[in-house]
Amino acid sequence: MTSASIADSVKEKKTTALSSDLIGTLAIAVLGGAAYVVFPDDLGLLTRILAAAFFVLSLCLVTGICGIATLGHAVMYGAGAYAAGYFCVQGLTDPIALIVVGAMAGAVMGAVSGAIILRTSGLPQLVLSIALVQLMHAAANKASSITGGSDGLIGISPAPVLGLFAFDFYGRTAYLFGLVLLVCVFAVLQRLVRSPFGLLCRGIMQDRVRVAAMGVSVYPVLIRMYTISGAVAGIGGALIAIATGVVGLDSVSFAWSAEALVMLVLGGASSLYGALIGTVVFMTFEHFVSAASPFHWLAIVGALLIAVVLFLPKGLQSFPARFLVKLRGGRRDHSS
Amino acid sequence: MTILLKVEDLSRSFGGLIVASNISLALESGDRAALIGPNGAGKTTFINLVTGSLAPSSGRIELAGKDITRAASVERVRLGLVRSFQVSRVFREMAVRDHVALAILQREGKSGRMFGDPWKIAAVASEAPAILEELGLAVVAHEPVSQIAYGQQRLLELAIALVLRPKVLLLDEPAAGVPRGEARRIEQALARLPSDIAVLMIEHDIDLVFRFARRVIVLAAGRIICEGPPAAVAADPHVREVYLGSYANGSRSV
Amino acid sequence: MQTAFGIALDALAYGMVLFIISIGLSVMLGLMRVVNLAHGAFAMVGGYFASYVTGQLGFGYGVAIAIAVVMSIVVLFPLEVLLYRRIYAASELTQVLMTIGITFVVIGLMNYAFGPTMKMIAVPDLISGPVDLGIRSVPAHRLFVIVCGVVIASGLWFMMEKTTFGIKLRATVDNPAMAAALGVRTEWIYASTFALAVALGAFGGVVGAEILPIEPYYALRYMVTFLVVVSIGGAGSILGALVASLGLGLIDTVGKYFIPNLGEFFFYFAVVIIVLVFPKGLLGRAHA
Repeated sequence: MTSASIADSVKEKKTTALSSDLIGTLAIAVLGGAAYVVFPDDLGLLTRILAAAFFVLSLCLVTGICGIATLGHAVMYGAGAYAAGYFCVQGLTDPIALIVVGAMAGAVMGAVSGAIILRTSGLPQLVLSIALVQLMHAAANKASSITGGSDGLIGISPAPVLGLFAFDFYGRTAYLFGLVLLVCVFAVLQRLVRSPFGLLCRGIMQDRVRVAAMGVSVYPVLIRMYTISGAVAGIGGALIAIATGVVGLDSVSFAWSAEALVMLVLGGASSLYGALIGTVVFMTFEHFVSAASPFHWLAIVGALLIAVVLFLPKGLQSFPARFLVKLRGGRRDHSS
Repeated sequence: MTILLKVEDLSRSFGGLIVASNISLALESGDRAALIGPNGAGKTTFINLVTGSLAPSSGRIELAGKDITRAASVERVRLGLVRSFQVSRVFREMAVRDHVALAILQREGKSGRMFGDPWKIAAVASEAPAILEELGLAVVAHEPVSQIAYGQQRLLELAIALVLRPKVLLLDEPAAGVPRGEARRIEQALARLPSDIAVLMIEHDIDLVFRFARRVIVLAAGRIICEGPPAAVAADPHVREVYLGSYANGSRSV
Repeated sequence: MQTAFGIALDALAYGMVLFIISIGLSVMLGLMRVVNLAHGAFAMVGGYFASYVTGQLGFGYGVAIAIAVVMSIVVLFPLEVLLYRRIYAASELTQVLMTIGITFVVIGLMNYAFGPTMKMIAVPDLISGPVDLGIRSVPAHRLFVIVCGVVIASGLWFMMEKTTFGIKLRATVDNPAMAAALGVRTEWIYASTFALAVALGAFGGVVGAEILPIEPYYALRYMVTFLVVVSIGGAGSILGALVASLGLGLIDTVGKYFIPNLGEFFFYFAVVIIVLVFPKGLLGRAHA
């Protein structure tokens, strides 16, 4: 090889990454659209899956990309849900504006909670994340004049999307609105994780000391990612507020935070696709099995979780990923 | 010659235990110095003091004329004081080329960019392939670190350090744990380091030290006991006594 | 004055229950470095067995405690060999996920086996009524729990400081490789410590059932509380766990009494502050 062709071989390959991003985003749009056609009676469940997908994607950004273990991620989701719900009740009924409000509330909560929990690492960090979500849960319960307390925040009735598409009884508008949002956000996040910033975050996850020795101040980088993650979670919270018209205390709970972590790891923590796969699988099974017997459901999820930790550390997404590698002829794409 | 790193009376103790005692040294542009000493002499402590991961009890450190004694360690890196690690600290699941890209981005102040392909940024596209090729890493550019040989990991450490464009480079045992064949490759790379930077190497392999360094500094029990050209240091009776005893008896490394 | 005494007694009893259950978790965390979120499940298993033995089989309280502890070890010990051993050196995230999984499975299986209802453990008359202390009469069960806590704390202290097992255990905590080189069978130490943690958890679950009632989601409901106690006390520290348990018991009880709606808020606010100021726990050694 001449040195020019070596240089090219070092640089090449990202063009295919970009097109595979596009294919992936399109696939989500198509599958989401297909679900709308095939399961017209389950749009309520499907919309809840969409909202959860934002939440788990948001967790993926901090846990899968930056390596931060948290059991309190629902503070951001809850902040988005309550903010959107509260503003809607107060008269700001435009759904897109409410999504923006939710994203902003989530981002603020992300920055604040991130600034606190990122001061430590390991067990203290885990405990801080739990304490914060419990703290916010108790606060939301107490501030019932704003949040409705344990009865939930009710009376959220958003205006039609763009003034054209009213939210209907069957949840069609809510689902399609959520799906469009998800496809947009997913496309943005794909670019984010491939950007220099995404590369930096993956470096931090693998060896913080090494990154610092390159001259990187790690703490501000992580807070930035936490803020972005908060915005994404906030969108999910706002979506559920708009779609269901009610925000409950469970949206800011330890249990919801832990479930998100379970969904993420089932799908594969280090991949945005893994986050989506885990969410869809978990939420669907939960809907059907949990209704029949909550204890069977717990036992099955528990067993699955143990199995994934032991045998499939990269989650369910590593099945299709392995398959794709074979299709492409074995060239591994390690940087994605 | 300009003095790039100046250390004056640097001391550090833990309780009653003195691990660095009045260490003074200066590195000039183009310097090739080696810091040697028996295990526990305080070599790694010295590096930690200079890079800022450990605070000195007293003393002063200057980098290119600027007092950095109180500067945060990331700040020192940005000012041009770069270190490599004794045990390779590279990202196991990241492709080789992305390590170099990340270091270049950081140097250029572009590691915080949230959009765009890192490889479309001019500095990355032009420099990364060149350095990888120079160090013989181009063929494994797409492999994750977990898939490459240890010697290649050490070369990657060197590549990361170099693209940060250091004024002063501290190498902590660059060839430790590397099989002989691969060590030669590392040595060649060391011989081709930019001539204007100052390099201080900590190394146990005395052969390598004598081939690389034009100046040897011997540390024992936290203080400098001898300093000078390799031959003079090797001939110093005090050094032979505390350190080179086994070398004098014919063993190749200490 | 009388109220203050009552609150203090409640707080002390609650703190002692937290201590008895959490200390097993603390020892495991200190020695094996495993963040065991399934520790509440250990206590729950003990509680379910005790309820079955007193209710269905009609045995007395003392027998029920003994059977519950033994059966919990028998049922849960295989988990050490099959699962826990694989995660001792893993990241916190892996440990958290594995032990959440174990908790879910235990909840599912226990409720399948014993039915998803609140479990009562009949306490004997001796400790169910009030006891006159001279100044005033107090519920005997509170005193019983406090005595249990004191006995466990001093027993563990004695074991750690005065027995060969304790010495080996502390050596293994400090440096597992060195301990192994000196002939300590660290695997055996880990296994024994696991059994001890299960036993303490199960015992605490049974004797604390009047304060933390045994119910289907027990393992999840108190998962966080036990972890918080240990984190604040400092991994592996008996005194730390005791101080943290009593302190948090006091904060929680006083908070709930005086500001009922904000009690939990108060509690977790204190937790955030303490963890930020003492990330390694009040009396903890460095935790990797």
